[in-house]
Amino acid sequence: MIYDICIIGSGAGGAPIAYELSNAGFNVLVLEKGKDYKEEDFNKDELAVCRREIFTPPLKEEQHVINERDADGSITRYEGSKYNWNFWNGSMVGGSSNLMSGFFHRMKPNDFKLKSVYGEIDGANVVDWPISYEDLEPYYAEIEKIVGVSGKIVKHRFLEPRSTPDFPYPALAVNGITQYFDEACKSLAYESIPTPRAILPLNALGRQGCSYSNFCGSYGCATGAKGSARAALLQRCSATIITEAFVYKLESDDKKVTKAHYYDKNRVSHIVDAKIFVVAAQAIESSRLLLNSKNEFFPNGLSNNSGQVGKNLIFSAGGVGSGRFTFESLSKQKELMQAGLFFNRSLQDWYEYEDNDKKYKGGTIDFLFEHTNIISRATKEFYDENGELIWGEKLSAKIHKNLTTSRVLTFEVFNDWLPSDYCFVSVDEKIKDKFDMPVGAINLYGHPHDIKVGTHLANKAVKVLQEMGASDISMSISSSPPPNLVAGGCRFGIDPKTSVLDTNCKAHELQNLYVTDASFMPTGGSVPYTWTIYANSFRVAKHLVSRLNALNNY
Amino acid sequence: MSLNLSGVYSPIFLKTRRTFLKSTFCTTALIVLPKSELFGAVPILETIALVQEDLLPSIRKLDINSSSYLSLILHHSRVADDEKEFLRNGVQWLNEEAVLHYKHPYIKLSSSQRQNILQIISKQRWGDNWIYTMLTYIVEATLSDPIYGANRDGAGLKWLEHIPGLPQPKEPYL
Ligand SMILES: Cc1cc2nc3c(=O)[nH]c(=O)nc-3n(C[C@H](O)[C@H](O)[C@H](O)COP(=O)(O)OP(=O)(O)OC[C@H]3O[C@@H](n4cnc5c(N)ncnc54)[C@H](O)[C@@H]3O)c2cc1C
Ligand code: SF4
Repeated sequence: MIYDICIIGSGAGGAPIAYELSNAGFNVLVLEKGKDYKEEDFNKDELAVCRREIFTPPLKEEQHVINERDADGSITRYEGSKYNWNFWNGSMVGGSSNLMSGFFHRMKPNDFKLKSVYGEIDGANVVDWPISYEDLEPYYAEIEKIVGVSGKIVKHRFLEPRSTPDFPYPALAVNGITQYFDEACKSLAYESIPTPRAILPLNALGRQGCSYSNFCGSYGCATGAKGSARAALLQRCSATIITEAFVYKLESDDKKVTKAHYYDKNRVSHIVDAKIFVVAAQAIESSRLLLNSKNEFFPNGLSNNSGQVGKNLIFSAGGVGSGRFTFESLSKQKELMQAGLFFNRSLQDWYEYEDNDKKYKGGTIDFLFEHTNIISRATKEFYDENGELIWGEKLSAKIHKNLTTSRVLTFEVFNDWLPSDYCFVSVDEKIKDKFDMPVGAINLYGHPHDIKVGTHLANKAVKVLQEMGASDISMSISSSPPPNLVAGGCRFGIDPKTSVLDTNCKAHELQNLYVTDASFMPTGGSVPYTWTIYANSFRVAKHLVSRLNALNNY
Repeated sequence: MSLNLSGVYSPIFLKTRRTFLKSTFCTTALIVLPKSELFGAVPILETIALVQEDLLPSIRKLDINSSSYLSLILHHSRVADDEKEFLRNGVQWLNEEAVLHYKHPYIKLSSSQRQNILQIISKQRWGDNWIYTMLTYIVEATLSDPIYGANRDGAGLKWLEHIPGLPQPKEPYL
């Protein structure tokens, strides 16, 4: 059997291809390493999901190696299993999109032309995208309808141009405390924006509306309201999905990928034939698969005669901060403790800003309540104000007071992680996974510019918390990479010497290989990636429909 | 410094960094400290149960079965072997410290002597990490879904007026 198309990885990058191509009548196969879960399989067991990490592989079986580059150029190697450091996010049908919080922002027109607008930065490989915001806009709009994005458009300086006036779904219900946030922003002359979410506020699209379960990020959605690749796309199409299928190698001749090799759960190897192969195993694993698929035509890895595969890995730069609201300082106790309702406020006033007459690309700040996870909240109380570990009655009292008479509002800053020569994916020479394949190595480096921008933004967020009367305000901006917000490694671009993929996300060096997860992104924008991953994947799907039509009619 | 990674930023990351510190320590410490005769002589679970009450006295009032939860952790498929070994070794080192200062193992000491020992070990890197790790599992037991058997009738959740997320699990994940 020869499939029209074989997709490796069923997450946000792979699912739109499966959805569009199977709905267009093509014979689609998805190979997914993880298991299949349905709405009824998901629950809010903090121990299983967040502490024993049920949705990601055990590190003794599959791990990463991290080579961290310090400011002085020295490199420290960490074997992930020894340091419990990993970049797995969600191995299951629908990938990590099942576990996302669904904070959805579009990239903005200038994000597509960072180099032309803001200029080069020393030590960073900043480039313009080969497509523009206008090219992607119709797909952003399509996602709003197909996946379901809710929100309310508020006009502001950096609002991106839209082909429709507002979101197709009204904003989710918010906690009464947001009113104080809006007032604080007003007095600071900041523009408070309702955060768009990939969450249905009401029953639609054959899915249930949000139940305000209070446990959204990190958890699978039991109602189907969250716009995961599984609930929104894979469950609504006829693509064949083989689960627990780990693709370990792609075979090729000098022009085409000819076969995908995968192991099933019993480690029996299988072969798949298809006309077109799409890799969407999430940024790091996609590069790893190509690097592990070297052969006589591509001795450095598939489609890597340019040496570009794995290069220019990026993450979301920025960091987090928080402030506490206590009963003593806030009269609206009942509203503060309302469970379930979202906070959903963002600031984008400094998406671009000037400092000392220099124009900077800034970013986005999202505000949200601290995650409801009770165990993780209690463990944050283990230290006193001097940073000393406490226990006994003192600890009991602190946990009880802080968790029952106050609530923490957090913020998350998103700015560009500048791509550089030092941040890339390779495969480790020494360590193999349970399938006997070399594990992915993440070579880490954060450009100092990122911290400067992140700090600028975080200071603005702190001002809002101060204005609102929060206590215990803290912030942490660093170059520690959030493993779930990862992109790059197989840049798209016009020049085959400096990019892996062409404008349609097809490998320059092979006729039928595509990569459609966030690997294609040469720069990341200053927003979380998933809306852009979805939109780009729908864009590529459109190209693939016409390409397959042409192939099949030939 | 407290990080509050919660929404889009992966909470997994926060845990990683803390565990990360511990692991760095773990590998060196295991080599440095010799095995002790005491280890065989002192009942490990009895010591653990007492340490747990000393670390978070509320568990007695709430009737949390924290020590049986820890034995579940010591056999959990998803808990790293290094972590299990560190938990066990910590009991040994705690007792070595108790014998050094009071000539008796931990369970034979008075309440104030035990608190002294905890203070002493908390000043050492392994001790700080061990207490932190023990506290983490005590809190897990106290605030776990009742399906795990440690937090009977959800007493720990009621203590913190916490409303569990729905749907709750139908079976424990072991
Ligand atoms: C807790 C959390 C919160 C998040 N919140 C947000 C948010 O609010 N907003 C936002 O925009 N983004 C958020 N994200 C990020 C979002 O989930 C990702 O951007 C998105 O899912 C990435 O899509 P992907 O297709 O690259 O990878 P995934 O969706 O992870 O899919 C990759 C799939 O490939 C499979 N796979 C890997 N290797 C192989 C192989 N060799 N063979 C077969 N299959 C393979 C994996 O098992 C996985 O299912 C969050 C993520 C997490 C974990
Ligand atoms: S029901 Fe709503 S809050 Fe709960 S997981 Fe789904 S989208 Fe998130």
